[in-house]
Amino acid sequence: MNAGRTNTLVRRLREYQQIARDPVMMTGLLASSAFVFFFVVWPLLRVAWDGFFDYQTGAFSLEYFGRYFDPYFARHSWTTLRDTMIMGLATAAGGTLLGFIIAFTFVRCNFPFKRVSHALSLVPTISPPFAIAIAVILLFGRSGLVTHKWLGIDFTYGMNDIYGLDGLVFVQIITFFPVAYLIIRAMLERLDPAMEEAAQSLGASKLHILRTVTLPLLLPGFAGAFLLLFVESLADLGNPLLLTGQRNVLSTEIYLAVNGEYNQQKAAALSLVLLVPTLTVFLVQRYWVNKRSYVSVTGKPTGGQLSIKEWYIRWPFTIITSLTLLLVIALYLSIAVGSFTKLWGIDFSFTLDNYLIAFHRGIEAILDTTFLSAVATPIAGVLGMVIAFLVVRKRFSGKEALDFVSNLGAAVPGTILGIGFIIAFIDAPWPAVMLVFLAFLLYLLNAVEASRKQKLIVSSIGIVAGLALAWTFAAWGAWYLAMIGLILALALALIAWMGAQPSHRRTLLWLMMIPVVGLILFIVGPYPTQWVAEWGRSLGGNWAKIVTSMSEWIDVFTQVPLPAHGFLLLAIGGYAMSRLKAGRWRLAFTMMLLGAATMLIFTGKPLALVGSSYIIIAAYSVRSLPASLRAGVASLQQIDPAIEEASTSLGADAQVTFRRVTLPLIAPAFLAGLIFAFARHMTSLSAIIFLTTPKWKILTVLILSEVEQGGLNIATAYSMIVILIVLAAIGLFYFFMGRAYKTDQVDITMGGG
Amino acid sequence: MAYLSLQNLVKKFQARGGSGEVLAVDNVSLDIEQGEFVTLLGPSGCGKTTTLRLIAGFEFPTSGHIILDGKDVAPLPPDKRQMSMVFQSYAIFPHLSVFENIAYGLKIKKMSKEDIRRRVAQVLELTELTGLENRAPNQLSGGQQQRVALARALVMEPKVLLLDEPLSNLDAKLREQMRVELRRIQSQLGITSVYVTHDQVEAMALSDKIVVMNEGRIEQVGRPWEVYRHPANEFVANFIGRANFVDGEVVRVEGDRLVVRALGGVMDIPQPDAPRRPGEPVRLVVRPEAIRLDAGAEGFPAIVRRSTYLGELIEYDLEVGGQLLIATESDVVRAEVYPEGKAISISFHKNAVYCLPK
Repeated sequence: MNAGRTNTLVRRLREYQQIARDPVMMTGLLASSAFVFFFVVWPLLRVAWDGFFDYQTGAFSLEYFGRYFDPYFARHSWTTLRDTMIMGLATAAGGTLLGFIIAFTFVRCNFPFKRVSHALSLVPTISPPFAIAIAVILLFGRSGLVTHKWLGIDFTYGMNDIYGLDGLVFVQIITFFPVAYLIIRAMLERLDPAMEEAAQSLGASKLHILRTVTLPLLLPGFAGAFLLLFVESLADLGNPLLLTGQRNVLSTEIYLAVNGEYNQQKAAALSLVLLVPTLTVFLVQRYWVNKRSYVSVTGKPTGGQLSIKEWYIRWPFTIITSLTLLLVIALYLSIAVGSFTKLWGIDFSFTLDNYLIAFHRGIEAILDTTFLSAVATPIAGVLGMVIAFLVVRKRFSGKEALDFVSNLGAAVPGTILGIGFIIAFIDAPWPAVMLVFLAFLLYLLNAVEASRKQKLIVSSIGIVAGLALAWTFAAWGAWYLAMIGLILALALALIAWMGAQPSHRRTLLWLMMIPVVGLILFIVGPYPTQWVAEWGRSLGGNWAKIVTSMSEWIDVFTQVPLPAHGFLLLAIGGYAMSRLKAGRWRLAFTMMLLGAATMLIFTGKPLALVGSSYIIIAAYSVRSLPASLRAGVASLQQIDPAIEEASTSLGADAQVTFRRVTLPLIAPAFLAGLIFAFARHMTSLSAIIFLTTPKWKILTVLILSEVEQGGLNIATAYSMIVILIVLAAIGLFYFFMGRAYKTDQVDITMGGG
Repeated sequence: MAYLSLQNLVKKFQARGGSGEVLAVDNVSLDIEQGEFVTLLGPSGCGKTTTLRLIAGFEFPTSGHIILDGKDVAPLPPDKRQMSMVFQSYAIFPHLSVFENIAYGLKIKKMSKEDIRRRVAQVLELTELTGLENRAPNQLSGGQQQRVALARALVMEPKVLLLDEPLSNLDAKLREQMRVELRRIQSQLGITSVYVTHDQVEAMALSDKIVVMNEGRIEQVGRPWEVYRHPANEFVANFIGRANFVDGEVVRVEGDRLVVRALGGVMDIPQPDAPRRPGEPVRLVVRPEAIRLDAGAEGFPAIVRRSTYLGELIEYDLEVGGQLLIATESDVVRAEVYPEGKAISISFHKNAVYCLPK
């Protein structure tokens, strides 16, 4: 037994060594694992942890869990929980049903305008999270066009208006049914018609077939859609904030705990309460529903889809679908019209003022949001692809965990992630940093090929020296540390040049230039920023805002916190080291590398990221990572591994194979993934709402505050701007890519809101 | 020393979904001479493809050595082994044209444009693909794709050409045609080749040497006629062609021949390599075509239990001495097709009955 365990351990170690043979892959593994560890695992752990400790004193406390049993609070607590569950279940049931009806109508009932209808039913997925809530208020609210103006209802206190659970569920169903539609449609299309034909040839009527064959076969799809919608509904923040009225749900409670009461413990505790059902559902969905699909993909094209001719099936479906699509059109039209209307409900005259005000107040938010979304897009895309590649093509222990955690970023409610980010990054997350540093250290020492004693000496000298440097110069500030780091990095480059096997010299020098250039940018970066900002201020007016805002963009690229430079140096240095001549060169290089990296990583508080742009970028990336990961996995699984093997057997190493074969083949899916990641960034609210600062303003948050202040018309103008930016991005994408490739549908069913 | 030599190769895989290990390749040793065409033949799951992938470098052996031209290549990755592989699925790069596909490896070698053009043109001519350089892979027929895959491997002038069931995706007629062509190209270039298939006819037609594998082990190595006529054991006899097994006892030895009592009579067969003595039990392999159906009075009495008319052949299930034997007879031998239930008399071709080794 014991021997068996040791064997397993050895085998696992071997798997990593197998990957470590390919340093680029190993670096990818380390970097992506470090990223998800920092920005998914760590924040969530901190949320779970902080729920049990008093925010002020740090003492252990069960206060907010106890409230469910405390007679004074119990009623409110349980009511909130109950309302949250009712909302989730009702939205999930309604959305799944609607999604099924629409999918069935499109696939089986010969519905006209197939492409347009399909696109139309997906619009809610790419619009800001509360666009529909706003539109519903415009149409059916207290001064709504339909309810007030056309039907003449005067809402008095106590009347059942749009605010409240029923209105909220209505809005959520419209917002989330596309997710169910996509899932069920995909299943319906893959359903082998032969099964239904078989039932027909056995004498069953169409209705009987629907009941006894079609629906049961679609059951896993229903279950999947239902669970996903349940989670989306629970995680939704925008719609409840606008529409709950007198009631309260968990996500808004959490939001108010942070932004109203400034009570982190309460927020964390409630997050944990919300995390339990969402995580459970995520697990059930992932490990149970997904493995229970009856629909087999045979790869054989079947004889086309059956179409239903019986009027008593066809017409109800068609009518409901048409009404839904009309409603979607009406909702978005009302946003468009509202943005050009003086005062909705009172004065419907045309005006451009809303846009003028929106641009005046919000130009920084518009620019910053677009910029940050754009910066986060390739990060999410590349990470997704790297992880997908590792997950699909490599074997190593912890693969499942990496996949799981990477998917978690969108599976947990954004609010929880946002709180986790605040708690985790208000100070530098030292334990997390140390763990990641340790992982890099182990990789480095594994590659150094020296005796255990040598390794110990080299690493301890390097680390101690680095810490001493950091400690000595910390007071001088990051700029001086960067200078020292630069000198060390240049020295390392020199050692690499001298110690490399001749054939690797040039490559190594180029590689070592990456951290060097990074540090140089860090050092000179502030000068152009300052210059541009000063020039901008001299312009005055809106241009001043625009230019100063853009000057900060330069900082985003140059002022990456030093620890990130440190990890980059470690990763690239580790690769370079594995290409040096064995023996002394390697040992010297390793020692110096560790010194430089330690100094850069364990210095000051640059990883207290709250308030910086990086935390927003990280939040965006984490939220859209699962979608790009899934796109990557799907496209990689379609590529026959033999194609990559053919490349290696023709003399190409792993990197060349990836560049020349794999990358061109997955490029279309990759780029489509990028565009949807961008759309998701532009429209996300819940994860970002706590992270926005006066310096980095976010459009969705601005929309929310406009609505709260009653500026519904300005909110519609902002919503239109978001929608237009997203549509422009999609349009650009199809303009450039549509000709070169024919892209398949991309999975956009995760991580909205 | 042989050009390519596998020495005690072992490959263990972790069992799917559980602990424990699966022995895919079990202590395989094999010598391959330069210019030889060697086929690994066996049922699916016998370890032949894993062996090929070990040679190619896509898998690393759990233990053992792979010596190529005097150097152990087992620790090297596939791209450093100077072997090219032709895949069952062809694995043509779908985003590259025929020319680019074939030139792919040469470009990685950083060969000059002129040399690339020349070498690709040569190999295109060899594989009769000239004129299709600019086609996209999806504009090619199955046979053409097959040739591109072959050309792409050949153009590298590899030390060893590896082929993993390359013909199995072609239809029957095309497969026969490509078989002939493959053999022509291989012998023209004199390229050392290792070929994997489960199709014994293909193995027979192509190979200098056949390696029959089963459950990760080599059962027999030999030239095509050797493995067919002198199978090393029942597995080989059964896997290559069809065989009846008949138990008997040696009556006496007459020079280089044995007289054996079996099926209620006696027959005269060649003495195997390891000589047998009278009284020893033997197991005989009787190929269906080794049975003659028109013996006179001194033959073995048999009853036709089933007859199946196959066109070029007629297949009979015969009951002989209480045992069922399969026999085939060429259609042209006799006008009559024996009906079921008919009593006939059979004999055996003298040199076609073979005594299995102990």
